[in-house]
Amino acid sequence: MRLLTHNFLKSNVRGTENGYPLTIEATTVRCEESPADREFVLGLLPKVNYPALQAAARQLNPHCDPPLPDLPEDLDPSDAGGNERLDDATVGALHRVLFDVYLVEGWLVCPDTGRKFPVKDGIPNMILHEDEI
Amino acid sequence: MSRPELTGHASLFYNAKEARKYDSSSRMVGIQREITERAIELLKLPSPRGEGGRPSFVLDVGCGSGLSGQVLEEHGLVWVGCDISRDMLNMANERIEQKREAALQGNESSSDADDDMGDSDEESSGPRKKQEPSPGDLLHHDMGSGLPFRDATFDGCISISALQWLCYSNSKDQIPKRRLTRFFSSLYKVLRRGARAVLQFYPETSEHAILISECAAKVGFAGGIVVDYPNSTKAKKHYLVLSFERAYKAPQGLTGAEGALLNEERAGVRVSDKDPKRGGKRHGKAPKKKKGVGKTKEWILHKKETQRKRGRETRKDTKYTGRKRPTRF
Repeated sequence: MRLLTHNFLKSNVRGTENGYPLTIEATTVRCEESPADREFVLGLLPKVNYPALQAAARQLNPHCDPPLPDLPEDLDPSDAGGNERLDDATVGALHRVLFDVYLVEGWLVCPDTGRKFPVKDGIPNMILHEDEI
Repeated sequence: MSRPELTGHASLFYNAKEARKYDSSSRMVGIQREITERAIELLKLPSPRGEGGRPSFVLDVGCGSGLSGQVLEEHGLVWVGCDISRDMLNMANERIEQKREAALQGNESSSDADDDMGDSDEESSGPRKKQEPSPGDLLHHDMGSGLPFRDATFDGCISISALQWLCYSNSKDQIPKRRLTRFFSSLYKVLRRGARAVLQFYPETSEHAILISECAAKVGFAGGIVVDYPNSTKAKKHYLVLSFERAYKAPQGLTGAEGALLNEERAGVRVSDKDPKRGGKRHGKAPKKKKGVGKTKEWILHKKETQRKRGRETRKDTKYTGRKRPTRF
């Protein structure tokens, strides 16, 4: 599961007030390399919740080899003008963090209730128990 | 043949064996591709490389072994899929692995070609292999319990041949109407305003189709069911097209009258040798099988290959395969 997807995932267990973002407890992480597509990344950026992305990158970093590139401290994803001015290195870093890092085994933990969703083979199991629906 | 939905839970029907069979059947792959292409057409997404170059993020409900996801990638769409069957998702993973390995080999052998690729200003038409987004992420999830995403995440949603499973309950606490309503109300939330959903499904009865439409309308969607080829049992397809625009009217379905060629293609899908309308004196009855026409050696070898792909035990191909047998007496 890429961090792009993790950025949108939340717990929808009944009664959860704020099941977002899910904390990552990683066991196995896989890093790949794919060519960064500037237009693509800037096009998707407005959707991304930046603080959640930063937190997720921090949670995965200990398992990444080579370590993930640093993301800029402040970034407003909805600021289209500002984003256009981002340099290629930053866009490359964003691309790497969003698309090239895969959580293969681990857990996604709800920040509200602590409910743990297992991740196996890159696929999170979000199936709810009968009493959680 | 009874409907799969009547045999039990989706994850039980789509077990490892069934998943492999599904994925290796060229007929199934072809049909699913066609349906996905039609769904993408009905989705009317802005071109991913159009103005602003903003790529679309699409949800594939009941993505199964990733057949529809592959088509989404070919259209340059970023997608996330969910399915209730772990075995089907494992097949999807296998497909992704194969694609990744093929890409790695391709990259090694064509590293010179990469230098000519240039930046992202690629032509919008033609094969997009190198600029295809990476394969979609998969989730193991039951759509009847809602969708675990934050609000206004997706620019579109498709579902191929999955929605009808919500109409059947597999345990006493599964009430179809409740599951359908929960699914649609969460779909309403996770779609961006202005986004659309196209959900192809196989209704067993018109009551099912009505139940599904009503649950969708109740949560606030506008839209309707588009029926392609309503007069053909095999080619008939139902697409539930949902929109946020109150004035939205679902388009007309295809009827096959769009052109003789389309008719022929469609006919190729549904008409078998047994179609009485295709002439021949054996009206309505199975055609007489002539050995020379029906079962050539070529056909036999091809059939054995297909069976091998399915994992069935097949004899080796030898000089005796498909040879002309001596007459009986």
